[in-house]
Amino acid sequence: MTDLGTRLPRPSPAGRGPGRGARLLPLAWAAATFALLAATAPAQGIGRDESVYLVAAESYASFWGELARSPRAALAVLDRAFTVNREHPPLAKEVYGATHALFTERLAWTSHLQGARLGAFAFGALLSALLAAAGLELAGLAGGLLAPALFWAVPRHFYHGHPAALDQPIAALWLAVVLAYRRSLAPAPTRAAALGRAAWAGLAFGVALAVKHNAWFLPPLLLVHWAAASALARWRGERATPFPLAFPAMALLGPAVFFASWPWLWRDTAARLGAYVGFHLHHENYSWHYLGTLLREPPFPIEYPFVVTALTVPATVLLAYVGGFAHSAWRFVTSSVRVPSVHPERSPAQPDVVEGRTDTASPADELLWLLNALFPIALIAWPTVPHFGGVKHWLPAMPFLALLGARALAAAGRALWPARGGAVTAALGLLTLAPAAWTVAHIHPYGTGAYNELTGGAPGAATLGMQRQYWGDAPVGVLAALDAHAAPGARIWWQETTALAVRAYQRDGRLRADLRWADAPEEADLSLWQFHQEFRDKEYRTWTAFGEARPVVVLALDEVPLVMVYARRGAWR
Amino acid sequence: MKIAPPAAGALSGARAVAALFAAAIAALSIHGIVFLAALPSRLPSASDWQRVAARLEREAQPADAVALAPWWAERARAVLPAALPVLAFPRLAGEDLPGIRRVWVVALPSAPGGTGLVERDLAGRGTRAVAAERVGALALSRFDLAEPVLPLSQLSERIDGASASLMGRPCPRDGGGALRCPGRAGAHVSREAREVDLLPRVCLVIEPPPAAGPLTLTFPAVPLGRTLRVLTGIVGETPQQADAAVKVGIALDGRDAGETEERPGTPGWHRTDVDSAALAGRPATLTFTVRAGRGHPRPICLEAYALP
Repeated sequence: MTDLGTRLPRPSPAGRGPGRGARLLPLAWAAATFALLAATAPAQGIGRDESVYLVAAESYASFWGELARSPRAALAVLDRAFTVNREHPPLAKEVYGATHALFTERLAWTSHLQGARLGAFAFGALLSALLAAAGLELAGLAGGLLAPALFWAVPRHFYHGHPAALDQPIAALWLAVVLAYRRSLAPAPTRAAALGRAAWAGLAFGVALAVKHNAWFLPPLLLVHWAAASALARWRGERATPFPLAFPAMALLGPAVFFASWPWLWRDTAARLGAYVGFHLHHENYSWHYLGTLLREPPFPIEYPFVVTALTVPATVLLAYVGGFAHSAWRFVTSSVRVPSVHPERSPAQPDVVEGRTDTASPADELLWLLNALFPIALIAWPTVPHFGGVKHWLPAMPFLALLGARALAAAGRALWPARGGAVTAALGLLTLAPAAWTVAHIHPYGTGAYNELTGGAPGAATLGMQRQYWGDAPVGVLAALDAHAAPGARIWWQETTALAVRAYQRDGRLRADLRWADAPEEADLSLWQFHQEFRDKEYRTWTAFGEARPVVVLALDEVPLVMVYARRGAWR
Repeated sequence: MKIAPPAAGALSGARAVAALFAAAIAALSIHGIVFLAALPSRLPSASDWQRVAARLEREAQPADAVALAPWWAERARAVLPAALPVLAFPRLAGEDLPGIRRVWVVALPSAPGGTGLVERDLAGRGTRAVAAERVGALALSRFDLAEPVLPLSQLSERIDGASASLMGRPCPRDGGGALRCPGRAGAHVSREAREVDLLPRVCLVIEPPPAAGPLTLTFPAVPLGRTLRVLTGIVGETPQQADAAVKVGIALDGRDAGETEERPGTPGWHRTDVDSAALAGRPATLTFTVRAGRGHPRPICLEAYALP
């Protein structure tokens, strides 16, 4: 009789699994990810959300600094410090505030924007490290190499790796919680070790909660996993895993970390928690362009996140994801019906890491991957959940799809040529990643406008009537032109770009300080129309106000306009 | 304990699936690389645009317009001669194109996302007078409309002579030429380019006051033909159920001639044809009476033209 298929893997047999060098792979991936994101970040503009988070980050950091110096003084300004962006928990912003305080304020090594974003790159590095570690475990060296690559070789994922925002951090932490939970299921050598693993799961959950509200869905999802896997085990005549200690640990440590990291809740707790919950339960529906129609009110199309995923993930990576998901589903089904009778010494959680040999899959493990690859997407598919923002709202699913895709590629490589499985997998990985990486490089920094080659790229998506972009960061591409040509003191209407973002550009010297803010095109000398079909009326109002439908600058992605700059007579020199 | 070797059948099945998977990956990879490599040559360069602009500068005439195919190629606005109206419409079927006799089509024939719908729509209402000529990655052709819509008069161009009143009180003209009604509700009438059902329309924008009214708009001495075509639509985002319906009554020389209504949930640029044959050939007074129903009133876009 075996356990629930949850024991931790041991080093792979036959000496073909990860060696010492491979064990450094997660660190190498983390370093490479950090460096790549840092190098490519300056080109990327400041989105609407990020502009608010930047202000919040500095505000929160000043509170914690003051708390260390003078607790009484800090507590006196607590409310003021945490009022900004109080609808989202603070931890990611506190990290951004800390990196900004250290690298920009204290060391003066970076611009203000880059200083805050260093925290975001750290979350990206964490995600890569976790994916590499999980990939190594699931599919050996190929898995460790391919899993992070399959995640980052998607333009929209790469885009979300840069801003000091919440979407990429919660994707990393979702994965961290699931991996910690999975580890907590494995039999531990001692009671202390078991408690330690559970505590890690609880802490990871707390950190995730303190980053974004998506994390509240994790305990129910993992409970479903445990209950389903237990039922399956009983059906198979196996001994089910006892109630995991991870759950009480999450119940205790999750709220503790959440509360400790968020001083806003230290006062008037019930009312402020209620406001936080209320904000997310009644989130506003933003208009959104989808297949030629504007989505404004529920019910929204259930297929939306699946279609958007299919249209935006590069085709080869998409196939790897789908293949990985199907492979996992197949392993789940076949392992569920298989009579467990052999190899108790081998972890069912450990997949086919040995060339030329099929493995024994663990139904519980497969179920865990499948649930986490599907649930974040299915959640957004729910017709009353607001549909906007593209892939960022189901980003937590993507690391799991990357992981399963990496394993599927490795399995295919071994199946095709058992004696040269590594080489075949490398070739498959190269074929998968080459066009995807090219696409990432081609699209950057306009990742929210990325569509795959099956869609026809940005031109094909424009014809299909898909949302062309979002978040208001594309004007980064016209800052230089504004600096060069805008009349002194010109008032600029920035449309989707926030005043906070404009101020951040000016603070870092990327935009002339004399250029002023205008609230509407009618009040402006220059109008930056960012193509949003749902706001098209504002472009036409510009034509009326300026008496002119002829832009002075067109910023386009593959000839599809993203930003058009209109100017009143005399405002463009 | 050893793992039992898998059956030969299972191995060959797995290998077949793996081969299929690998083949699909390889095919998509080649497709992706070819797509990316070829994309720049499928899209126009700055010099392509300049050459087309120069040609249009030479050959375009009054009553010409440019249609874009595909419609999103709006770089044309920045490059083509300023005097040429640019029609960035996904379809041209059903569009009156008032005042336009000839339509130049600037197409990106090799670009992804081409549909050919604009050319097809134009071919259905005229003849291709200039065959498509490649200019780098652009193609230029011209269609001459068989039955151009040539208005005798167009309302949006006559606002300077119009007057308006709200519940009998006159709405004076402001410095920008708009008619602004007294009261806090902010009712006004002005000539603007605005969005109706995602497309630009130059029209008279009327912001009716909530639950007040009627707002009356009068145009004296309008030359009429056999038909008065009235077009209306809600400005901006799609009207929702909570929005008020807006009714527009039409009177010719003081006589009721029809009514049109903009209801919530019915986006579009709606056309109402009024028989004006009895007044054809002479000027008449046109009166529009605008009433908002209960709910949040939305501005409407109103245009009308007299057809021979």
